[in-house]
Amino acid sequence: MKNDKTIFWLQIASVSWIWIFVMGVAIWILNLIRVAHKLNDALNASVGISIVAIPVFFTLAAILTYVFVGLQKDKHRGDERAKQTGGIDSSWRGAK
Amino acid sequence: MSELRHNTFEDEDLIRPIEQTGPGFYLMVAILLGVIVFAGYTYIRQVFLGLGVTGLAQPVSWGFYIINFVFFIGISHAGTLISAILRLSKAEWRRPITRMAEVITAIVLAIGGLHPILDLGRPDRMLHLFTEGRLQSPLLWDVTSITAYFAASTVYLYLPMIPDIAILRDRGTRPRWLYEFLAWGWRGTEHQKKVLERAINILMVMVIPIAISVHTVISFIFSMTIQPGWHSTIFGPYFVVGAIFSGIAALLIVMIAFRKAFDLGKYLKLIHFQYLSTLLLIMSFLWFYFTFAEYLTGFYGHEPNEMRVFLYKFTGDYAPWFWTMGICNFLIPVVILVNPKTKKIPGILIASISVVIGMWLERLIIVVPSLANPRLPYPTGIYIPSLTEWSLFAGGVAVFILAYMLFAKLFPIISIWEIQEGREESVHAVAERLKSYLPDPPSEQLLTEKLGSKR
Repeated sequence: MKNDKTIFWLQIASVSWIWIFVMGVAIWILNLIRVAHKLNDALNASVGISIVAIPVFFTLAAILTYVFVGLQKDKHRGDERAKQTGGIDSSWRGAK
Repeated sequence: MSELRHNTFEDEDLIRPIEQTGPGFYLMVAILLGVIVFAGYTYIRQVFLGLGVTGLAQPVSWGFYIINFVFFIGISHAGTLISAILRLSKAEWRRPITRMAEVITAIVLAIGGLHPILDLGRPDRMLHLFTEGRLQSPLLWDVTSITAYFAASTVYLYLPMIPDIAILRDRGTRPRWLYEFLAWGWRGTEHQKKVLERAINILMVMVIPIAISVHTVISFIFSMTIQPGWHSTIFGPYFVVGAIFSGIAALLIVMIAFRKAFDLGKYLKLIHFQYLSTLLLIMSFLWFYFTFAEYLTGFYGHEPNEMRVFLYKFTGDYAPWFWTMGICNFLIPVVILVNPKTKKIPGILIASISVVIGMWLERLIIVVPSLANPRLPYPTGIYIPSLTEWSLFAGGVAVFILAYMLFAKLFPIISIWEIQEGREESVHAVAERLKSYLPDPPSEQLLTEKLGSKR
């Protein structure tokens, strides 16, 4: 049980790490825009690139978080079903 | 643990390599570690002594490291892009292939992405990229797009693995904590399945433009300059075609190797190799078309600097490499793959190895001759790679093989759930799809009327 909790918190930490990574990338890109602005060095191009790049990273983090939350939400329901049926069938066909 | 029930498992062959390890595995790991340690030593030596230990000099300041960077990133297109396209087009034969392809991407992207750092005499100056980088530079576009592609590919590899990781967790395979951690609480409920399917569907659409952007942006490093031989508008698609071409070849080699090593003939059938090698053949023709268009345009313009590079490749110092590239990328694969008699696994393996060598030569042909013949009044440059560069190249290949072997030791190399899903749903799904393609059958009333009028 204690082990389960440790693993759960490690999973939370891994998802949080993804957000830290994505925020880091966004801050890095924003910093480069700031540098371009300071040096008057083709600011428009930097902004254009960041408009494409930043949302890609945030979408990836959002997808991972969505999957994590979605799986965790139903984890307990799966456990209850396992008690009734006498075991877990985690395979794809177990979903039927 | 006692309450967990093992699946009655028809796909035991896919789990066996994870639960049983032969002495060959350890021997191979030891050899690869030896190569990697030697490569590490030569790199440390390079950091201390500077780039003078390499064959790089003026005017040829880019050599093996940048060639391998482009080459490895190109190979990465084997995975996520091909897998996403096959999934999106609902190609049923993709099922045993996708995971193998996705793993290639994740590993070679990490290896390729590090190569520009090897090319720096002062790797500590990479930090300037974070504080003072210029987003207008194609080099920065590269950093951004490769990071995005690596992140997307890793997620795209990981998410479809979750149901398989849960199978290993439920079997009690060691290290159990790892599978428990990575399974993210998968219990195989209907809701969980829907969540995962939705996420995979979004990712596979998202990953295709990212993958294409990566190699387009890599081509921009060359084509955005006005160097003869590089300044070309078709370099973007030319690089993407070359990347997919070399990626398919690498994927075929990996598939053949694992089929032999893990005895996976039941899953990786001749038909899979034939379908994929047909794609390889198509890409070979496409590559030839792009190469022809690229060189014909340069030749027709007859601009003196452009012609120096052109002749250097066609008849000069690099002619042997140039013509070998043509033989490896076009002649050998076409001769083997158009003939049904040779389009068998040994032939496909020869064609694939030939393409991988040919595509590496193509990167060499693109990078070095243009630098050796610059617009400035330099004498023609010479580039002879040193032992340092060769050992780091061997190290990169060894890291790839080792990482792939370790992955196969921890996770199923073929997606178990996709195979199960295929067995249970594909026949019905394909039948339904076929019905939707074909014209509707005539109604009974219409048939009776037609028969009546004939009588």
